[in-house]
Amino acid sequence: MRAGVAPGIPALSRRVRASTPRWRRPTTVAGVGLAALAIALVVGLAFGSVSIPLGDTVAILAHRLLGWPVAVTWPASSETIVLELRLPRVLMAMLAGGGLAVAGATMQGVLRNPLADPYVLGTASGAALGASLAVLVPLPLGLLGLGFGQLLAFIGAVVAVALVWRLSRASRLGSLTGLLLTGYAVGSLLAAGLSMAMVLSGAQLRQIVYFLLGSLATATWQQVAVAAPLIIVGVVVLAWRARALDALMLGDETAAHLGLAVARERVILLAFAALVTAAAVATCGLIGFVGLVVPHMVRLVVGPAARPLLPLAAIFGAAFLAFADLLARLPGELPVGIVTAVIGAPFFLLILRHVRTGYEL
Amino acid sequence: MDRSPLGTPSVSRRKGLFVPTVGLVVALVAGACSAGGSVAPSTSSPLPVSPSPVVATPSPSPSPSPQATQPAFPLTITDDEGTSVTIPHAPSRIVSLTPASTEEIYALGEGSLLVGDTDSDDYPAAAKTLPHVATYQGVVMEKLVAAQPDLVIAGGDGFTHPADVTHMRSLGIPVVVIYAPTVPAVLADLRLVGEAVGQLPAATAMTEAMQTRMDAIASLAKAEPTHPSVFYEIGVGPDIYAPAKDSFVADMVTLAGGTPITTGDPNSYTIALEKLVLADPQVIVLGDYDYGTAVADVLKRPGWEHLTAVVDGAVRPVDDTIVTRPGPRLADGLAALALAIDPGLVLPADLLPPATPAPSPS
Amino acid sequence: MSELRLVDVALAYGSRMALAGLDLTVASGERVAVLGPNGAGKSSLLRCATGVMPVSRGTVMLDGVPLAELGREAIARRIAVVPQQVDLPFAIRVEEVVALGRIPHERSFRGPTPLDREIVDEAIHRVGLDAFVGRDARELSLGERQLVLIAMAVAQQARLLLLDEPTVHLDLRHQVQVMDLLADLNDREGLTILAVLHDLALAAHYFPRALLLDGGRLVADGPPAQVLAPERVQATFGVDAAVWMGGARPGV
Repeated sequence: MRAGVAPGIPALSRRVRASTPRWRRPTTVAGVGLAALAIALVVGLAFGSVSIPLGDTVAILAHRLLGWPVAVTWPASSETIVLELRLPRVLMAMLAGGGLAVAGATMQGVLRNPLADPYVLGTASGAALGASLAVLVPLPLGLLGLGFGQLLAFIGAVVAVALVWRLSRASRLGSLTGLLLTGYAVGSLLAAGLSMAMVLSGAQLRQIVYFLLGSLATATWQQVAVAAPLIIVGVVVLAWRARALDALMLGDETAAHLGLAVARERVILLAFAALVTAAAVATCGLIGFVGLVVPHMVRLVVGPAARPLLPLAAIFGAAFLAFADLLARLPGELPVGIVTAVIGAPFFLLILRHVRTGYEL
Repeated sequence: MDRSPLGTPSVSRRKGLFVPTVGLVVALVAGACSAGGSVAPSTSSPLPVSPSPVVATPSPSPSPSPQATQPAFPLTITDDEGTSVTIPHAPSRIVSLTPASTEEIYALGEGSLLVGDTDSDDYPAAAKTLPHVATYQGVVMEKLVAAQPDLVIAGGDGFTHPADVTHMRSLGIPVVVIYAPTVPAVLADLRLVGEAVGQLPAATAMTEAMQTRMDAIASLAKAEPTHPSVFYEIGVGPDIYAPAKDSFVADMVTLAGGTPITTGDPNSYTIALEKLVLADPQVIVLGDYDYGTAVADVLKRPGWEHLTAVVDGAVRPVDDTIVTRPGPRLADGLAALALAIDPGLVLPADLLPPATPAPSPS
Repeated sequence: MSELRLVDVALAYGSRMALAGLDLTVASGERVAVLGPNGAGKSSLLRCATGVMPVSRGTVMLDGVPLAELGREAIARRIAVVPQQVDLPFAIRVEEVVALGRIPHERSFRGPTPLDREIVDEAIHRVGLDAFVGRDARELSLGERQLVLIAMAVAQQARLLLLDEPTVHLDLRHQVQVMDLLADLNDREGLTILAVLHDLALAAHYFPRALLLDGGRLVADGPPAQVLAPERVQATFGVDAAVWMGGARPGV
């Protein structure tokens, strides 16, 4: 078949694209997302539990980050707050939010399930169990700025997914069903372990609960330095494999017929999604909602094609969590997981009710 | 003993009462010793600095033992978690993250150096007006940093989130973590904090006075003919919260002349009602009185009506903050506890606790 | 160009032989129906033909080259499979489904080029789905969805089209529409078509050549009149029926 438009027939998709309102085109949406991210950064640095005059904040950033010669008129504590507390925290929120959103979109695509989130293959239970074991047996071990609890959470998450993967290979069911059910079974087992640890923890229960609710309060530059490469590399790899995610949308067989090495791609996608999730969970605890809802919100606007979806999910996930963290900070350190659920859920319901974009769920 | 609202009796005043107190203790203990009793609680380790009541001879003004001299700054101390903490200079901006250390700093006369505490620090009254940099949720790091502390006293065993402790230290703030699971450990911690803030002599004198008072109270309580079984109620609802085995509270009850009813397990803080009924306490001390539990409530509880304590009406309130708080008022707490266990116990005026709580809880 | 050849191909699922020694050749430009009762191995044949299922014995060759020597993507550029139906977990537009057919031709990061978009447009037009552009594929009827999947295969620009029971669940109108389309693609563009069908009458009317499978073996190969002679139908399907062959329209 010759390529090229038959004479007299205008390109139809082009017509449809032309009729797509400007606001829904991927580039516009990306622009909005980046603007939101910039605002989140500025607002996140300007506000917090202690009020620092905006002029001081800007001056501190200009002086310390850009090297501008500005007269130092602020107390050292303000500098510590802006540069050592707020800045790493906002960056950590963006990394975790973006990573979780991309991991969630990947899980939804690989498992072909709109209800999948980054934690569905046991990552959450594994991480929680790891963190709680560290609370029960607090060894003063650490690595690269991560505390013992965070290390065990990371290892727990990764081991859990590996275990689920390994066990699901033995399943006689269709591969996706087997994977999901194995994930559920292993997750439940690990959750039982977690419950046991909570019972045994006695006075330390509060620490475990804190982990379960998710918090960015202890984000330090060291943690950002550890999490950033893991999350950024993971997100880039997943965005690079966007094609595979698209092919999988119609099922394994169709994907294979479209030239995809299905088994290999699935391993790559799940492995990097798990890596990104483990990095986010180890540093920030279990933050729910972002990985499930942000991909859907982006899909509602630009559709399910992975190439726009993944980068946009990263951008909006980052902005979303940064804003949520700010809201969690202001009244005095609510766990951020509560805030993401409280803002995210009604917002999502509102969208479902009112938006008609042709991409309704 | 005269107590100002700030609870800061001066060192000299304490010294003035030291001699007669020691003399009294020696006399009493000499008598108790003949009965073969010991004033030390069963699980304590011997205190390094306190004079042993059995062999001390009263001296008019004992010079401070060598350990009571304040070492110079910069100072490196080992906190209760075994961490070496270096304090570069005598602290002038202190944040106290436990109610006990807040009380102590005021007791040492250094209350003006406090720039932050937690929202649950309630004694002395001035503590409530300090900026609250921590809540039950954790330390609000920005507020802590804004207070620009040069020393932070934190609570161990998870009282202050370990992650917050690590975070503060990573910002270069010296953090001393204290945790006192036994009565002697409380006194050791009071001295540790005293040393950290540059007031070791005063702290040592304070703990020596406390030790003396507590030994005196303990020996008086021990000398009573009966040592009833005591249930110290930490809280009820829905589970019954009781002292764990070998815990601090159990220690205090023993010192106060009671036989503590515990959960039976060092890691458990709850006791089943059936077990409590089986143990059948002769006295119930309401540690939760200030949190809204009235004596009448206890008498009405289903299943409790046959407990000896309830039948005899031996259900008595106590100010939990002085009994269980590992701070400078612990001796008062011991006295209050002893009186709650045995109202007939006669304590000399200088050993009495402050006025008993009002009938209706705040 | 797109000659498919199976040489002594056998396929075992565990202890069960799905295909037991098949020898057949589908020449470029042919239009062949694959028929047989359930479990005869029709779907297995399709899977072997694309290399998705490795054979237990024998060779599958595409234009004389064994499939094992061609990369998966190379195969996908030469062979397109139209699945029976697909589950669409997310809302997706018709043109986006068709665009998936371009995946074997796309590079990882670059994404669809203007050329890709034109090919997608043309595939949509070729299949007659112009009116459906912009709509959610999940809202389409089964017949319309089947056309979308065929458009996707067309966008793949493969010379060999394999179809797995494309008319099952379809109403009569769409059955005819699909069959007419396949015949048209074969006649005008010269695409080779290999379709597994369950409807013997449709097969007889639209396909000049039929392969009859039974128990993993090829029991007949030739024009439908011969392959679907009543004794054959009786022996293979166990049904005493005559397949109406004649006339301009297929019998119902």
